[in-house]
Amino acid sequence: MLNYIWLSLIVIALVVGVGKDINDEVRNTYRNGTPLEVMFISSQVPSGTATRCEGQFYLTAKQFNDFYGTSSQLEEVKQPAVLSLLQNKTGNFIFACTEVTPVLWKDMAKSASGSDKLTGKVERIEFSDDHGWAKATIVMESIRFVKLKAITQAAIDFANIAVEIAIGLIGVMSLWLGLIKVAEEAGLVKVLTRLLAPITKRIFPDVPPDHPAIGAIIMNTAANMLGLSNAATPIGLKAMEELNKLNPKIGTATNAMVTFLAINTGGLILIPATAMAVRAAVGSTNIGIIIGTSIFAAGCATITGIIASKILQRLPKYKRELMDDTKKLEEINNG
Amino acid sequence: MVDLFRTVINFISILAIPLMIAIFLGWGFFKKVRVYEVFVEGAKDGFHTAIRIIPYLVAMLFAIGIFRASGAMDVLISIITPLTNLIGMPPDALPMALMRPLSGSGSLGIMTELMKVHGPDSFIGVLASTLYGSSETTFYILAVYFGSVNIKNTRHAVPVGLLADLAGMLAAVFICRILFGV
Repeated sequence: MLNYIWLSLIVIALVVGVGKDINDEVRNTYRNGTPLEVMFISSQVPSGTATRCEGQFYLTAKQFNDFYGTSSQLEEVKQPAVLSLLQNKTGNFIFACTEVTPVLWKDMAKSASGSDKLTGKVERIEFSDDHGWAKATIVMESIRFVKLKAITQAAIDFANIAVEIAIGLIGVMSLWLGLIKVAEEAGLVKVLTRLLAPITKRIFPDVPPDHPAIGAIIMNTAANMLGLSNAATPIGLKAMEELNKLNPKIGTATNAMVTFLAINTGGLILIPATAMAVRAAVGSTNIGIIIGTSIFAAGCATITGIIASKILQRLPKYKRELMDDTKKLEEINNG
Repeated sequence: MVDLFRTVINFISILAIPLMIAIFLGWGFFKKVRVYEVFVEGAKDGFHTAIRIIPYLVAMLFAIGIFRASGAMDVLISIITPLTNLIGMPPDALPMALMRPLSGSGSLGIMTELMKVHGPDSFIGVLASTLYGSSETTFYILAVYFGSVNIKNTRHAVPVGLLADLAGMLAAVFICRILFGV
């Protein structure tokens, strides 16, 4: 199942990316090669032979929208830019994206040659008498394959992010595995598991009620409910390791593992800390009103997950995937 | 009532980790466990577990990353939108629900955006934060947890996770409509 979902994510991404790029090419979304008439307001008056000229491109919102065939630009465009001119007639320009840059230009700059900068040619420029402003005809650099470039960048970026996340786990992972080991040796985990045995026996019938896995599962769930994600992940991985010791078929998920993950992805929580922090940041007058709704929704998700895992594990398809080797193992042991 | 609950829970989450450290080590010392040596012994596995996750995490995050970058989400949303009207879910909140199981940072961005545009206390704002708060990044958890023990055949874990997410989403829409609905 994961195979198919994983592959479809990639295939859909590539197909959509190519499709959007072809669409851009056909409709010429970025007006490649089309001259654009703009007003150029110089901030410093260029002297007669100056080749470098700073100022801003000025367009009304309507001019911008008409040119690109959009309706997204609502305010007039005042884009700071630097021109380098030959004999004050033709030349090149470059500008970096700022807060005032139209969204479309920002998107174009993302896949332009310079990072977050757009360049282009000045085909014609006519300065006013006092050189304070000019009428210019500019052509932006050609922007092509925006989505394919974005896909390439994302593939590399996310591969790096994955490693950063994993490396970032080493510290907390070691801390919690160390602490849990002490708790285990001290018999503390056993006390915890015995306390909750009536519940855990029903949810995890395949796992002996005093197995260390149960202790880790309980601690992981508790940490998740309190929103202590730093502690929850290392303890959860410890639980997986313990569950894997009971696994008859290495490399295949057991029923208990799937049920455990159902509880985990269900997102059982008492205090949705991140969501509340964001609510406070954007100025909510009552950040706490989502506590009740979150507990309800997460509870429904978790219960559904547990029930679904119990039902699906009975399907012959999933049963077989785990059974094959168990039988083989028994035969080997008996023989 | 809600405020009291919140204060108590906040208090517990601040105290939890110092308390756990104190109890684990204190109890261990009391039971004559050689705490330092045992701690180091356990901590040794931390490195290997974290490193073992890398290939699984790279596979998962890169696929989700290019999916997001390609703009495929917009296409998916336009396909599913007619269905959301049936369950009374505002179409604006759909990207949130679809992104939540895929990407933590992506859904955090969408939630923030929705609350900025519609207001945090509007129906959409409450629904978006409930969707975020009540769920986990399913595919990330699948990759990390199964990756840590080298499990490649996940059997029914994906359908179970997605069913749970669907139930959570429906429940969030249901409860928000009842309590804050228009």
